[in-house]
Amino acid sequence: MRMLRVSLAALMAAGIGLAAPAYAEDEYRVVDDPLTLDIHFHFRDRLVYNNDWPVEKRAAELTGVQLNNVASLATTNSQEAFNLMIVSGDLPDIVAGNRLKDSFNQYGLEGAFVPLNDLIEEHAPNIKAFFDERPQLRSAISAADGNMYFIPYVPDGKYGRAYFIRYDWLDKLGLDVPQNVDEVYEVLTAFRTQDPNGNGKQDEVPYFARQWEELIRLVTLWDARSSGSDTYHDFYVEDDQIRHGYVEESYREGIKNLAQWYAEGLIDAEIFTRGPRSREHLLSNNLGGMTHDWFASTSSYNVSLADTVEGLSFRAFAPPASVEGRRLAEHRRIPVRPDGWAITIANENPVETIKYFDFWFTEMGSRLSNFGVEGVHYDIIDGVPIYKPEILDGSAPVNAQMWEIGAQIPRGFPQDYGYEIQWTNEIALEGIDLYEQGDYLTDIFLGVAFSEDEQRVYDKRWSSIMTYMLEMQQAWILGSRDVEADWDDYLGQLDRMGFNEVVEVMQAAYDRQYQN
Amino acid sequence: MTETVSQQGVRDAPTTGKFEARVRWLVRHFRKEWQIYVLMAPMIIWFLLFLYKPMYGLQIAFKDFSIFRGIEGSPWIGLEHFQTLLGNDQFFRAVGNTFIIAFLSLAFAFPVPIILALMFNEIHHRIFKKMAQTIVYLPHFISVVIIAGIVINMFSPSTGVVNNVMGMLGLEQVYFLVQPEWFRPIFIGSNIWKEAGFESIIYLAAIAGVSPTLYESARVDGATRWQMMWRITLPSIFPTIVIMFIIRVGNLVDVGFEYILLLYQPATYQTGDVINTFIYRQGLQGAQYDMAAAAGLFNAVVALVLVTAANALSRRVSRTSLW
Repeated sequence: MRMLRVSLAALMAAGIGLAAPAYAEDEYRVVDDPLTLDIHFHFRDRLVYNNDWPVEKRAAELTGVQLNNVASLATTNSQEAFNLMIVSGDLPDIVAGNRLKDSFNQYGLEGAFVPLNDLIEEHAPNIKAFFDERPQLRSAISAADGNMYFIPYVPDGKYGRAYFIRYDWLDKLGLDVPQNVDEVYEVLTAFRTQDPNGNGKQDEVPYFARQWEELIRLVTLWDARSSGSDTYHDFYVEDDQIRHGYVEESYREGIKNLAQWYAEGLIDAEIFTRGPRSREHLLSNNLGGMTHDWFASTSSYNVSLADTVEGLSFRAFAPPASVEGRRLAEHRRIPVRPDGWAITIANENPVETIKYFDFWFTEMGSRLSNFGVEGVHYDIIDGVPIYKPEILDGSAPVNAQMWEIGAQIPRGFPQDYGYEIQWTNEIALEGIDLYEQGDYLTDIFLGVAFSEDEQRVYDKRWSSIMTYMLEMQQAWILGSRDVEADWDDYLGQLDRMGFNEVVEVMQAAYDRQYQN
Repeated sequence: MTETVSQQGVRDAPTTGKFEARVRWLVRHFRKEWQIYVLMAPMIIWFLLFLYKPMYGLQIAFKDFSIFRGIEGSPWIGLEHFQTLLGNDQFFRAVGNTFIIAFLSLAFAFPVPIILALMFNEIHHRIFKKMAQTIVYLPHFISVVIIAGIVINMFSPSTGVVNNVMGMLGLEQVYFLVQPEWFRPIFIGSNIWKEAGFESIIYLAAIAGVSPTLYESARVDGATRWQMMWRITLPSIFPTIVIMFIIRVGNLVDVGFEYILLLYQPATYQTGDVINTFIYRQGLQGAQYDMAAAAGLFNAVVALVLVTAANALSRRVSRTSLW
């Protein structure tokens, strides 16, 4: 039955296509004679581009450009697949994938990929308009020579992680939602000592996190910073100065307090080894009290565990005010992903290719890449694309269904948050609304593109510095060392390891990249 | 083949009579023994393809390597990568840890399979023997990822067996996996559990090769089982033990790197970070293949020195050696 409906819809879509005036179809046409381009597109470690995806077929109809996948699923590591392709020297026309920004820029500078600035200027009006409106994003993905070497996947939506707490436990203990760091301390202590799950045992885990780095995130409650991007332990930018949270006085204060919280049992004692399933485990066993995690997936436990944990109400609350009164949601979605596609020097049709890339930035192309094929996967209702019920009620999550048809994959295109909002649960939307009203977000550091010399300094120094910082961080939290006693030595050691040199090259790269 | 060789031999005859004789001997030798060489061929091809050919790539340790430019196209930079490594305290710590873990493993883990084999040899109840053997072999076949999961769970402070037992005995609970001083015991201990059974197979095979007449005559002389083990079994398998020891020393610096990677934390780098995990963090995560190759080369040189020393030592002490 469902098959019938789908094929009927396809027929109807085809019918509409035939009936519509010819120029509408030609509007997106890139070439008169059909052109096939080879693409190496291995992504998220488990998917490769599929020539039969409905989205690909529709795009080929509209543009006349057909993509032919040459990536193999023989390896389940996308970076490895990319490296092997580069090493072989046998470059296809287009290379695409996720987490390739640094590779695109590095090998672009070495001559593997075509610089795109001039091509965009002349042949890609939609891409040009998009990035003219967002100069920061253009800077963020450009290489050290100021050229763009790839067209990125641009996600939409701002909110990522939020503070979540057991509202039902708060009610039971007669507590209010904590509004500042002291109240958080009180609430966590109450979770620890007053047996909110009522089993007579002191087995509650007041604060837990799937990634132990989310424990370090709590230093923001003492006005420190843990990361300025969606990568942990990263730099951040304040007043155009590159800074790192882990050398600042406020961080010392934050760690000192977190060490105390840890010692008092307010933080999951096993936070460093419990691993990625800890959220599910601690919630389903009615043990976990508070965390910092993604809106959508965390909210969904209210539904999926409704029968297992009676009265479970695990909902977002606004970032508590820090000691100085700052309310900060440090984590947000990255506004431009290090994903996308690039044109190799082996490509004999760079102009046609950039025109094809431009198609995905038109309204038609962007819809196709966000929602699938009109009439098959979505309908336009009141001017907005709305998924068909069979997609929304499908057994797999909507994003997984989209991957199956070639939509929402990391090709260069602007994502539309409207796609996600349709299947985000009420509790998550409420939380997002709360964060939206409070305006707690801060700008995110989008990284820099190093010149070769800068890269060398960074490569030589940073990994050891990072190792040292994390070692000390864990030792302090676990109480095997004392941050107060170690602090001066710590700063001295970082200095000897070349911390300032790294900040200097970061700053130089940042100035070059963002300030012209 | 034969023809060309002899032709050449004839042409060079006046100056290299000795050479000609040698070639003739070789030809005859190959004709006679070719089956043996055919049998050897797969092994030789494997060595050439997977161990000798990759040596060509070792040169990237001395280059500023880019995978796009390729090995040929990347510029030489001399010893810069080695200087960087040797100027890094963490590298030296990793070298130190590698040796400590390796020697502790050698001291504690090497004798266990021998003892196990001797014990199995003394079991005479067949079903019990088979079952015991299967049980100790089994962990060898479990993926290291799962082993790490089991170990992490076993030593967990809240739900782990170890801490539960300690709790029952009134001892304080310990978060073992973030304590630097516990890292090595846990790593080596669980490795023994995983591998000792399987490694005992080779000693069991050696024991099976001991001539039964020795035991029969010993029994006639009234020897006890204990005496037979000490005076017959152990000396008979001693050459095997020595060879295994040398091989083990050669692989000393290859401490189980994947396993450490799964078990360690920044908090335990102090005792658990070894050369290979250092290479992994420094080189592979940051795509610095050239630096990783330099560290790998360093690792290989250390291994070569060790195995040569062990071989020389054993030749002197026990007259058994690999070469």
